[in-house]
Amino acid sequence: MLAADGLVKRFHSRTGPITAVDHISIAVAAGEVLAFLGPNGAGKTTTIKMVAGLIRPDQGRVVVDGVDVTGRPALAASRLGAVLEGSRNLYWRLTCLENLIYWGTLRRLTPAVARQRAGELLRMVDLEDRQHNSVQTLSRGMQQKLALCQALMHRPQLVLLDEPTLGLDFASAEAIKATVRQLGTEGVAILLTTHQMDVAQQLADRLAIIRAGQLVLTGRTEEVLTRYSRPVWRVTAGEAFSAGQLAAARTLGWPLEQPTPKDLLVTPPEDDPAAIYRLLDVLRPAAIRLVERHQADLAEVFQQVVSGGGEAL
Amino acid sequence: MSSLLVAEWRRMVIDLVRYPLETVSMMVVMFAVFAGMFFGAHYLTAAPISGPNLSGVVIGYTVWTLVMNASGFMGYSIQNETQNGTLEQVMLAPWHTVQIFLVRGVMDILEMLLPVLVVLAALIALSGAKLDWRLLAAVPALMTIITAWGIGLMMAALALLFKRMNQLQLMIQFALLFVIIAPVATIAGAWGHVLGVLAPLSVQVSVLHATLAAAGHGASATLWWEAAADMVLWFVAGYWLLTAADHLARQRGIIGHY
Ligand SMILES: Nc1ncnc2c1ncn2[C@@H]1O[C@H](COP(=O)(O)OP(=O)(O)OP(=O)(O)O)[C@@H](O)[C@H]1O
Ligand SMILES: [Mg+2]
Repeated sequence: MLAADGLVKRFHSRTGPITAVDHISIAVAAGEVLAFLGPNGAGKTTTIKMVAGLIRPDQGRVVVDGVDVTGRPALAASRLGAVLEGSRNLYWRLTCLENLIYWGTLRRLTPAVARQRAGELLRMVDLEDRQHNSVQTLSRGMQQKLALCQALMHRPQLVLLDEPTLGLDFASAEAIKATVRQLGTEGVAILLTTHQMDVAQQLADRLAIIRAGQLVLTGRTEEVLTRYSRPVWRVTAGEAFSAGQLAAARTLGWPLEQPTPKDLLVTPPEDDPAAIYRLLDVLRPAAIRLVERHQADLAEVFQQVVSGGGEAL
Repeated sequence: MSSLLVAEWRRMVIDLVRYPLETVSMMVVMFAVFAGMFFGAHYLTAAPISGPNLSGVVIGYTVWTLVMNASGFMGYSIQNETQNGTLEQVMLAPWHTVQIFLVRGVMDILEMLLPVLVVLAALIALSGAKLDWRLLAAVPALMTIITAWGIGLMMAALALLFKRMNQLQLMIQFALLFVIIAPVATIAGAWGHVLGVLAPLSVQVSVLHATLAAAGHGASATLWWEAAADMVLWFVAGYWLLTAADHLARQRGIIGHY
């Protein structure tokens, strides 16, 4: 649905030229959610705006649903919807319903169709009872939900979300996440940026991490998490392990740590599926509460990739 | 194009109805101004309230305010949207930037013209005055507005690139006032004449005056052609400039920056 190839964008600031985006290629298929991550100033917003046609790339090209964004901007624009970072995306003096009808009609719906679609979307995000309130009277979370509805009025096949859950409370963030998932199942391609790694981990089918304008990691979310997981097992007991149990565990000859008296971190040989049973055997009769293999979460991966070398692609 | 017109029309109507105090106070001010013209002349000169002078003043004033709006509104709209953070969404709509802001300019003129007509009708009914005007005068009036839209597109181009330009806008509008009041089109000498013709608005206003002059035989064919050519020139220049500014703003990544 989206194919961006070799995007480059340089800006001229007072301190000299900055390469905000340096040869970035990303693709998002229909029904797929791609989380586009990176520290502040990495070039996420610049990339999103290039995809939307609001910034013209110096090099490279963006194709949305087979339409070249630079070549046929109006046609490409009719196939995508965006909630942009920070900007309010809505007219504050108009009501929720009036806003949705305006943005829908501006994108070529008839007012009647726009009204119907607006009703549908307001119902979906639970803002029906607010439809006649002006946007300035809504809370931040409600505004953000409405901004998302605004982007969906014309049923775009590609949706761009720049930090959609920034500053939202739990319930509002959940509502946005639920909507994103729903869109995914309807076959909409979604490109989102966020600094909230849990949000990305929950929503994304695929990840792209950029640093200083360059892609440093891409891949399917589970694959990336697995790749960054270490073969370390944590065994947690109800009370401190005894000296005898500890000594017995050491006889196995595997790397072992005891971060707290009740926790053991053990790295058994990866090719031995029975290893963990042998460990539990020697620990008998400790009151084991929990046995788990280390599973990287996205925050750890991000930390490593962004601060460490990562694997430049 | 029609859905763009519908969208902007609806937004204008909502705005008029949503803030009745703004709409009503605007009409009260207009009423006061026009009433001053209708009755003021009468008290000063004891002449009957009507005649070509009154028509000239009323129509001249109306066209003048429309010109101010047509030349200023699009730039103002861009500054406003930039400040409110909605410009990027507007520029994401499936229309050429010029189309969008031109339609907004048209709606702004309608928003202004409709109350003017209501107020004038009320005053004519109240005073029993008669306005001397001809349907034909609508043509040079429209030509004047279209020329002013050309300038409006240029101001929009500047607003897109420079964001804050209130002072500049005031200066340009002052220059327009000068061009309209001074009979630039009648400057002597061939080059002076060319210059006068190239200056925006003054030729169109000359045609308007000639058409309105009761005893006159209207504007000469040459003047009409000059007015038309001048209108096309300024409108196309505005169109071109805003298109170029749009391109440059996307190039520099400054759409929506404030
Ligand atoms: N119009 C512009 N002119 C000059 N420099 C710009 C412009 N837009 C962005 N930049 C610079 O480009 C770089 C990338 O900015 P961008 O906004 O894309 O980062 P980001 O990844 O979205 O960051 P954040 O997480 O803070 O939103 C930054 O160094 C920024 O200062
Ligand atoms: Mg950003």
